[in-house]
Parts: sequence; C-alpha cells; structure tokens
Amino acid sequence: MNVAALTLPFSFEQPQWLWLCLLIPALVALSLRSLAGLEPVRRVLALVVRSLVIVTIAISLARVLHVRENENLTVLFLMDRSDSVPEDIQASQESFIAAACEDPPPHDRVGVIDFARHAYVQQPPYEGGYYLEPGRLPRMPNPDRTDIASAIRMAMAIFPHDTAKRIVLLTDGNDNMGDVLQEAATARADGAVIDVVPLWYQHRNEIYFDRMVAPTNAEEGEQVPIRLVVHSRRRAVGAIDLYHNDRKVHLPPEFARVELAPGDNVFLVKLPIRTGGPQRFEARFVAEGGSGVDAISENNTATTFTFVAGKRKALVLSKEPTFDEGFVDALRSEKVDVDLRDVSGDDIVIDLLEMLNYSTIILSNVPAYNFTDEQLEMLSSYVKDLGGGLIMIGGDESFGAGGWMGTPVEEVMPVSFEIKHKKVIPRGALVLIMHSCEIPRGNFWGKEAAKKSVDTISSRDYIGVLAYTWSPGGVNWEVPLGLVRNKAAVKNRIDKMQIGDMPDFATTMDMALEALVKTDASQKHIIIISDGDPSAPSRRTLDAMVQAKITCSTIGIGYGSHVVERTLRDIATKTKGQFHPCRSPRRVPKLFMKESKVVRRSLIDEKPFRPKLEYAFSEVLTGIDADEVIPPLQGMVLTSPKPMALVPLVRPTKEGPDPVLAHWQYELGKTVAFTSGYWPRWGYQWTQWPSFAKLWAQVVRWTMRQEAPANFEVYTRIEGTRGRVVVEALDKDASYLNFLNLPGAMIKPDQTVAPLLFTQSGPGHYEATFDVDQTGQYIANVNVLDGADDLGAIYTGVSIPFSPEFRELSTNETILQQVREVTGGRWLGGIDEPGEVDVFSHDLPPTIAKQPVWDWIIAWLLLPLFLLDVALRRLASWLAFSIAVETVVLVFLLVGVGTAYSGLWGVLGTILLAELIGWSIRFRSIGPMLASITHTVTVLGRAGERSTAALGQLKSTRDRVREERTSAGETPDRAAPPIPDRSARFDAGEVKGAAVGDLHESLGGAKAQPEFKEKRRKPAGLGTEEAGQEDEDTTSRLLRAKRRARRGMEDEKKDKGD
Amino acid sequence: MSVRYAVLCVTPLAFVTAGCDPPALTPTGVRAVFGTQGLGPGAFVYPRAIAVGPDRGIYVVDKSARVQRFSPEGEFETLWNMPQRKAGKPVGIWVGPDGRVYVADTHYSRVIVYDRDGRELARFGQPGTGDGEFMLPTDVVVDADGFIYVSEYNGNDRITRWSPDYKFVSVVVAGKVAGQALARPAAMDIDAEQTLWVVDACNHRILRLDCSGRLLACFGEMGEGAGQMRYPYDISVTPQGTIMVCEYGNSRLQWFAMDGTPLGTWGSRGRKLGQLWAPWGAAVGSDGNICIVDSLNSRIQIVRP
Repeated sequence: MNVAALTLPFSFEQPQWLWLCLLIPALVALSLRSLAGLEPVRRVLALVVRSLVIVTIAISLARVLHVRENENLTVLFLMDRSDSVPEDIQASQESFIAAACEDPPPHDRVGVIDFARHAYVQQPPYEGGYYLEPGRLPRMPNPDRTDIASAIRMAMAIFPHDTAKRIVLLTDGNDNMGDVLQEAATARADGAVIDVVPLWYQHRNEIYFDRMVAPTNAEEGEQVPIRLVVHSRRRAVGAIDLYHNDRKVHLPPEFARVELAPGDNVFLVKLPIRTGGPQRFEARFVAEGGSGVDAISENNTATTFTFVAGKRKALVLSKEPTFDEGFVDALRSEKVDVDLRDVSGDDIVIDLLEMLNYSTIILSNVPAYNFTDEQLEMLSSYVKDLGGGLIMIGGDESFGAGGWMGTPVEEVMPVSFEIKHKKVIPRGALVLIMHSCEIPRGNFWGKEAAKKSVDTISSRDYIGVLAYTWSPGGVNWEVPLGLVRNKAAVKNRIDKMQIGDMPDFATTMDMALEALVKTDASQKHIIIISDGDPSAPSRRTLDAMVQAKITCSTIGIGYGSHVVERTLRDIATKTKGQFHPCRSPRRVPKLFMKESKVVRRSLIDEKPFRPKLEYAFSEVLTGIDADEVIPPLQGMVLTSPKPMALVPLVRPTKEGPDPVLAHWQYELGKTVAFTSGYWPRWGYQWTQWPSFAKLWAQVVRWTMRQEAPANFEVYTRIEGTRGRVVVEALDKDASYLNFLNLPGAMIKPDQTVAPLLFTQSGPGHYEATFDVDQTGQYIANVNVLDGADDLGAIYTGVSIPFSPEFRELSTNETILQQVREVTGGRWLGGIDEPGEVDVFSHDLPPTIAKQPVWDWIIAWLLLPLFLLDVALRRLASWLAFSIAVETVVLVFLLVGVGTAYSGLWGVLGTILLAELIGWSIRFRSIGPMLASITHTVTVLGRAGERSTAALGQLKSTRDRVREERTSAGETPDRAAPPIPDRSARFDAGEVKGAAVGDLHESLGGAKAQPEFKEKRRKPAGLGTEEAGQEDEDTTSRLLRAKRRARRGMEDEKKDKGD
Repeated sequence: MSVRYAVLCVTPLAFVTAGCDPPALTPTGVRAVFGTQGLGPGAFVYPRAIAVGPDRGIYVVDKSARVQRFSPEGEFETLWNMPQRKAGKPVGIWVGPDGRVYVADTHYSRVIVYDRDGRELARFGQPGTGDGEFMLPTDVVVDADGFIYVSEYNGNDRITRWSPDYKFVSVVVAGKVAGQALARPAAMDIDAEQTLWVVDACNHRILRLDCSGRLLACFGEMGEGAGQMRYPYDISVTPQGTIMVCEYGNSRLQWFAMDGTPLGTWGSRGRKLGQLWAPWGAAVGSDGNICIVDSLNSRIQIVRP
C-alpha cells in the first residue's frame, strides 16, 4: 500500500477488508427483485446507493487513512545552558534564535528547548517565530551536567507529526551524561535533521585541580601521603593551601609560591594522622594574576578523604548543653570517648562524612525541624546502611513532641511516635490557611509544608486546611477540620488542592475560628502562609481568636518580590503567635513542622512516675540488679513500642505500659529510645543515681558501630560517568580470600542509596560499579561475609569537588561534526552570524502524514447513505425525496466538510450544490404536478359550465310547465324545488376522485393512469342504481388496472430478459 | 402544495442571509475570543485588568507586567513593559477620553501615565499612607474636569483625588462607609453625572459616592443569588445607564439599575466559550461590546449578551 500512498490521498491499514466490495454484484442481483416495485430511475438510484453503502463499510473496516503530503517545516532550537558555556555566549543564544526567526515562512513552526542536566520546553512549536523576550528564560536547574541526548529526545517528543523536522543544536559539545551519537542516529531514523551551531570558546589561560589522591584507609599515627595534580594551560605562578578536617595545614614554604608548567603538575604532601575516623582533605590553588591567568575559579579546589581506624567515639547533639554536661562527664568516667556539640541554633551543620567520625550519635532533646530533610535521611542511612548507633533522649522537643513523627528517623527507632495504646489523651487542633500561590512553585511548597504538618501531628489531633481555591465558592475547607485518622487520605486531598489568589484573610480566619471553637481540643492553633497582600482581618475576628485562646502564626513568603509584612506581623502579634519571614521556599516545610508543635504538646505527660524494670536480661541493663530501686522521673513523651523492640524500662499504667527505655537492632545499626530525660525538670534524681554512669555507658557501647577488618584493601576511582569500588581481600596470612559475599551500598551526595553488586574478577579481587552523576561525596559501606561469618564492615568513598563542566576548556568540535554527519545536517557556523543562516530552508523531503478517517466516513458517509437508501424506497413523493436529499447534502457538506471550505463562499457553494441536486430530483415531479393543477382548474371550469347549462334547462322546463298549466286553466302554485342535476353531482365526485388519486400516489402506490380517469367518466343523468353499479364497476376496474400493470411489468422484464 | 414550494425557495435565501451576517458564536452572545497562555504578543500570563479606549482599542495588563493593545476585533497592535516588575505587577488600568493610559502600578505604589503607544508621560505617588502616598493602588478613573481618582488597599483602604497635573488634592473616602470599613476598593468607574461607582470587594458591595466622598447609594451582599456578589473586582457604567459588575468569586458579570435593582447575570465558571474563570475585570466599549478579562483562562472574551 505504500506505493498507493505516494500517489493516492488514501491508504489502508487492513486492505483485506476491501474484498467485501465483491458483494456488490450479488447485492445488485438480489435487489432487482426486491426493488421491482420502484420506478426504473429510483431502482437504479437505490442500487447505486446500496453499492456505495457496501463500499463505505468495506473501506471503514479496512481502516482507511488519509495520506497528506506536507511541505511545512518545524524548527526546534536546542540551547545549551550548562555551566561549561560561558555566560556571555549563553545570552547570545537567545539573540541568535530571535534573529534567525525574524521572518519565518507563514506555516513553519518554531520551538525552543533549553538543556543542561535535563531538557525543558521553553516554547512549544508555534507558527510565527520566536516569541520569548530575550533575558526572561527561567534559571536553569542543575546546570552541573550536560545531556545533549535528553534534549534531542525531548525534541523528538514534541515535533508535530505532519511537518518536516529540523533541529538546530546550539552547544559546545561537551556532553558528560548521555550517548549523543546514538540519540542523533535515532532522530535521523525518525526523519529529523540536526544542524549544528557550535558555541565557540577556548580558555587559553586556565588552571584547575585535576585530582587529589589519598589512601582510602590508614592507621592512627600514620603519615598519609597526599598527591596533588594541578593542570595548567600555560606557565603560571600561585599558592597551594591545604585543609585537614577544615583546619589549615602549615605546608612547607615552597607551597606558598609554586610555579606551574603547561600540563599536569604533581605535588606530594605527607600529613600525620592523629585521630581516628574519616579524615577530610581539601586543597585550593590561588593563582597570581587573578582571572587573567585563571578564567574559571570553580575548578581550583580538590577534596578527598581517608578512613582511619581509631577509637570509637560518641557524639552528643544537645539543645541545652548545660543540662548534658553531667551526662557527658558520666560517660567519660566510664571511659567512653564522647564529644558534646551545642545545636541550640536553628540549623545543625553536619554531614554524613562527619557522622562517620562517630560510632554513635545521641540526640538529646533536639527537635526534628532543626535538621534538613537531607540530614534526616542521613541519620537514617547512618543507622541502616552504615551501621551507626543512634540514641534519642526525651524532652519537650523529642519524639512526637519534637516533630520526629513521620520522619525517616522514626522508622529506625524502636518506638513508634504515634500513641496507639491510650484511650484518652488531650487533643490538639491545627488549621492551615494556604495562600502560597504568590511565589514560583509556591503551591508545590505550600502543599509539601501542609503534608509535613499532617505527618508530624498525632492521629489523635485535629487538622483542617483552608484555602481560596478555583473551585466554586472560592474559600473552601479543602480538608475539613477533623481527626487525622487516615494521614494518606488527608495528604491526598492536600495534593488535589488548586490554591488560588486569596482576596482577604477575614473569610478564611472567620471560618477557622468558627470550626476551632466547636472542637474539644486543648491546644488550638492556626498557621497562615501568605505574601500578606490579601485584605487584613477585622479587629473583631482577632479579638474573638484571643478570647477563644486560639493562637495564629504567620509565614511570610514572596521575599525578592513583594511581602506585606505589616498585616502578617499584626495577626501574629495580636493572637500570641509568631511571624516567620521565609526567604527560601525550601524552609516552608520546616516552619510548618515547627509551628505544628503547638498541637503536639499533648504528647508530653508530666506526671511523676517510677520506671519499672520489665526485662532484666537486656544487654544494656547488664549489671543493674532487678531489685535495685530505680529513681523516679517527673515526665515523659508518650510513644508506643514497636513489636520487635526490647523494652526493659516502662511506666506501668492502666492502659498498658508506656516505654521508657527501648532498644533494637535495625538493619546494620542499633538504636535506643529513652522517652524521659535526665535533665533537671524530669530526671534530677537520675544524675545522682549510682548506676547512672554505668547504665549509660552500657547503652552507648551497645549501640556503637563495629570495627572494620584491617586486612582489606579498598579503593574507589572515577572513570567518566561511572565509579568503581575495588576490594582486595586478604586474610591474616596475606592469602587471598575468595568467594566472599560482599553486600554493599553507595550513599550518593543527595543521600540516595544505590546497591553495590560486587563480582570477583581475580584472586581476592572484587569490583563493583556505580553511576557518578552528582557533585559531592560518595560513601560506600561494604559488609564482608565469609559464609555465615560476619567479618565486619569496611568504608570507602570518593569526592567529586566540582562539576565536570568546569573541566572543559574548549568546544568539542569533533562530537559536533559527528552529530552533523550522522543526521545529514548542516554546519551553521558561528552564533555571531544569525543573518547568514537560513534555518527555514525547505530542502528536507516533504512529510507524509497519515490520519485515520474511517470514523469520519462512518459518521459522514455511511449514515447519510443509509438515510438516502431509506428515502429512496419509502418516500414515494419525488418532492419529499428531493427535500430529504437536499437536507442530507446540506448537513453533510456544511458540517462534514465545511471546516475545509469555511467562509461565505463555502456556504454559498454548498447551498448551490444542494439546491442543484434537490431541484434536479424535483424536476422529475414538477411537470406532473403543474399538469395536475392545470387539470383541476379545467375540470372545475367545465363543472361550472355544466351547472349553468343544467340551471338553464331547469328554468326552461319550469317555464314550459307553467305555460302548460296556464293554458289548462290551473292556478300556478309555489314553485317545486329543483331536482338536483346528477351530472353536477358526478362532476363533484370526479374532483374528489382526483384527490383520492393523489393520496394513493403519496402512500407509495402506483400512479393513477390517465386512461383510467377517462373510463370513469359517465354521461349525465345517471340514476341512483346506476351510481351503485358505477361504484362497483370502479372497484373492478381498479383491480383490472392493477392486474394489467403487473402484467405489463412482467412483460417488460421478459422483454429485457430476451 | 404551494406552501411547500415557498418553504423550499425561502430556505436557501435564509442560508445566504445568514452567510452575509455571521451570527454570534454562541447563543450566550460571545462575539470574539482572543489570547492564550504565554509571553508572546497576544498571549497572556494571568491578565488582571482591562480598559477600552475612546477609539475602541482594548488595553490589557497581565501578570508579566506587560500592557498590550488590541483592535476592537481583538487583533494585537502593540505592547510595552512596565518599568519594573520584580516587586509585583499592576492590577488596574484606565484609558481617559484623551487616550491617555493610566496604569495602577500596584506593588510599586504609584500610577504611571502613558500615551496610547506606551510612551511614559508621567508618574505619581510613592509608598506610604500619607497624603500623596499609596499602599497598594488598585484602579484609576478620571472625571470630566480631568481630576484623577485612585483607589488603594492594604492597611490604607481609601480613594484619593489628584489634580490633572498629578498633584495630590484630597482623600475622597477612607475608613468606615455605611457601617463597614472599606475593604479592598478594587475598582471604580465614573458616570455622566460625575459620581463615583466603587466596588468594595471584600465587603462584597457597591458604593456610589459623589466626588467629595458623600455616600449616595450602597447595595450588595455576599452570595450567589441575584443582587448578591462574591468578590466584585471590577465595575463599569454601561452606555445604557446600568451598572455592570465583574465578580471574581462567582465568575460572572452582573448588571444593576442605578438604584441597585439587580437586572441579570451572564457567565458561569468554566473553560468553555461563554464561561469565565476568576475574571478580574470587564470594560464596556462605546459600541456596547463588553470585553472581559477571563483571567484563569488567559483570554479575553468580547460579548454582547
């Protein structure tokens, strides 16, 4: 069918159905008999229409396609906005596109895609050129990588199917992610051509840190060799600074002024390592001469790290260090090495590498919202994947009360922060008023924040969400105020919100007030997020909130654009809430978590109690006598034990024991929960307890991470976009360890975990690979299993200090030439010459577009043909038939194809065509019809003449009788009534008979024959009996005429047959 | 029989007649629709204010801080950018009888005056709550004597009067009006009798004031019924002497007699032709055509109900 497609405007997907057309001759043969009663013209028409019905059914089943050849062109510009392209060239790209599209051909389309790590459509293919105003493209997210292949894929996805496809690729060719050539070949196969506009640059004066190499593992007290490789394009002078664990190292004086030769320059430094744990090294090169000598500053830094086996150590993160000093002293008295860090500020600065310095981390009354989401993930990974220990110690900012509910940390803890076993606890009620649409992606962040609030409050609390949305009514309860029994359902409703532009605060605040007053919650709180430009609430509303003890905190967004702080501050101040200016949308969820703590206060129970030893055989309570009196505690945070957790200390209650001390092993790590506190408010008697130090030393030691085996060599290296972890396994006798099982995990810079699948590639030699697509630290944990024996865990890692984009010093012309050759595109020269480039040249083959039209045929051909077929057989009147045909043609043409020929001339042409068809059919009947009218008038005239003659005859008879009587001497009396003239009555009947003839015809019978009418004529003066006889004769004559007609038709058939 | 022939003859005539004068696109009276989402000419990013000039040119300002002018048929003619847009975008526009375009540059607390081609002629106002200052100006109208009236909200809900040479004259109205404090006077219009018609958006009502601020009439309440409103964001006095209100919250237009008697509504919430979604403004041309800013649909509909 392809050949046909090139020559005909139609093609068929399943042409075998066209064999149905062979049924047409059979249909004609059958129809000749069934349509015998029709006139010859009608019969032929009916046969034609029925044949057309068969044809349309056949081509519909064959799935007919409309084949259209399109000369139009779509040009998609792909703009490289990665870091490797200098800023001035990035700006020139838009000017180039605007200039190249100044005068596009009328129906050609232009689209724009920009790309770096990902590709984004900035202008879909539009007719008329480039519409975007230069300089208004949004900031490119993740410009630290270049993936040209993804941009080509995106282009192929948005190309219209019915135009020629041209991609104009503006790039420096320095791709570091995908396979450009393969994607270009795929695009070529799909009919696209890629023209290349190279973005020329060359950094002639450039210095960068090629690499910094340190051993993966080292021993405490060892001298660690560090090799620095600095690359320079030409001779240069500068200084090298080295930092060890963020402290500057005093290097020999020659490092203060080093001379670089063109190419790689290698420097070696040896540093003594005095502490255990991961050692972080960072080197910086500062060139003399500034940017004139070194164009890119981002690539002058290198980092690496070394894992040093040493003493195990614990880290205490404390919100109030003074309360934790006694605890730290107690641990040190038990020979536990421990560091104390003050984290009373808003943000905690710690990363995974720093966590690995410690074998266990203790969170002493630290709220979750002080950590970033990434840090919460790190804490979880630290336990699960790296085998670290985690201890959470209670207080009003810990467990559920500290917003830890729903975080990744809750998953690894031995207690659930939800209260499942209590029947009655005080409730909190929280209403969120959302007006977050005023910042870019504001509704996304607003929804994330609202969901975070749902996560961090207890299922015993109330939550409701109000917003001005685009649904009817405007202000609506998107989540009606109710208990958070099903958090997933509530979050689902939040996700569906269409947050709109709120005109005023009063309406939403009044609704929140009315609903909150009706709840039985002990804590009632409202959080408003807005840019503050809705109309302020009335004083009456604020006073009512104060009276109902409802607090309201406000979060101001839109900094950098507009924020009306005054309104937001007023609301917070008057209702005893807090105002939070929020300059980064990423902070919004944290602020919601923080503010939601108001309703979490109900999780704190401050009734004094004495803990009961429930399970004396716990490892952490070794040495604590079951009969020993445990000092009382003054309060705790309510939690529920998890099924597999051990709970040695509890608070007995009527509704079951509340966990006080619980612990378990979760994947590779161990965690402990102490739901009360040893600080003065709750546990002042505990610090004086003789077993206090012993207990906590045991707890901390139990959680500490296991040491790694020392006889394993592990190192990591980067090979392009892949990383490789290599393990050399030796036993104590330096013999290779074969057939080991090495389950491992790689924690990437964004804290996602990728499994490491090791395969043995030589005696004692194991390798695994991982994707390197981010900048930062990659840390691997490898567990060593020899059969069932756990030999411990080993750590390794690698650091990517800067994006590979900053390694590129010039345009990669080779790859661009290859792309052009693969797709048969053109080399369009420089970006500074847009006038020289005709991106719209129509030198590509036209596009053949195939569109299914079988549904259109069924709707607009088959149905009208069916109607015509019925009309032909059922509408005996030619006039009615002509109207039906005219209507069908009108509707079909006006609606069915009118779209292609719209406008006044199309309408007029359609009407003309329909009228022509209608009148040509009508012409068949108009002659007889006019003859019928003329005949009626003539008959009526004749009847009048006969009546006049009869009247004259009557008058003469009367006169004659009168004369006869007068002559016989009779007195003339009243004149006798005239005897009706029979001929006049007969004439009237004749007119009626003509009408009967019409009716007969209109009912579909055969047309009355003229001679039949003639035979009905009777002489005047026929009597009544004769009239009855005449009726009878009429019936018999009708029957005879019918028989005659039938015989005539049969004779005609025979004649044709002969 | 002859009747049937007469029908047959008249039918094509009717089609021809219809072809010569195209009917309205829909039974609801939509005459034209133009605009789409985007930054190109003729495209909008959440358009929020509209005005029709004495030459029937249509001026639209959107959330990309661009003023665009269209022909009465909706053909794009020209556009210009506001001088600054980072802090926020305008929500009000007015075209005077002399063709001057007044834009309430809301978040920069000023009014900028342009000629019909976008050349800046003057600007007045600065941030603040005192005389000659604005908080968030929402709309501008000019009376027959050339005096300029500016409405504003956000802690300073009031209407101020300015001289034709852009000097502050007086505060027309502020504070409580008819028992309720002004809450976001979102738009104004001025009738032939030189009285101000103001939509008090967050009180869901219409105020009629004389030029000295004396209240002449007040009607309306929140709701969806006849005579009720939900966040009326724009108001126009029609050539027929009725008051047309654009309701942001109910996504419709509503007409009132001068005495506040509701006369009817047009439109419903939706994306189809003849439907509106969160319209911010509507203006009536001298030809009686109504141009509506269908904000969330990023289009302008020209209707004659």
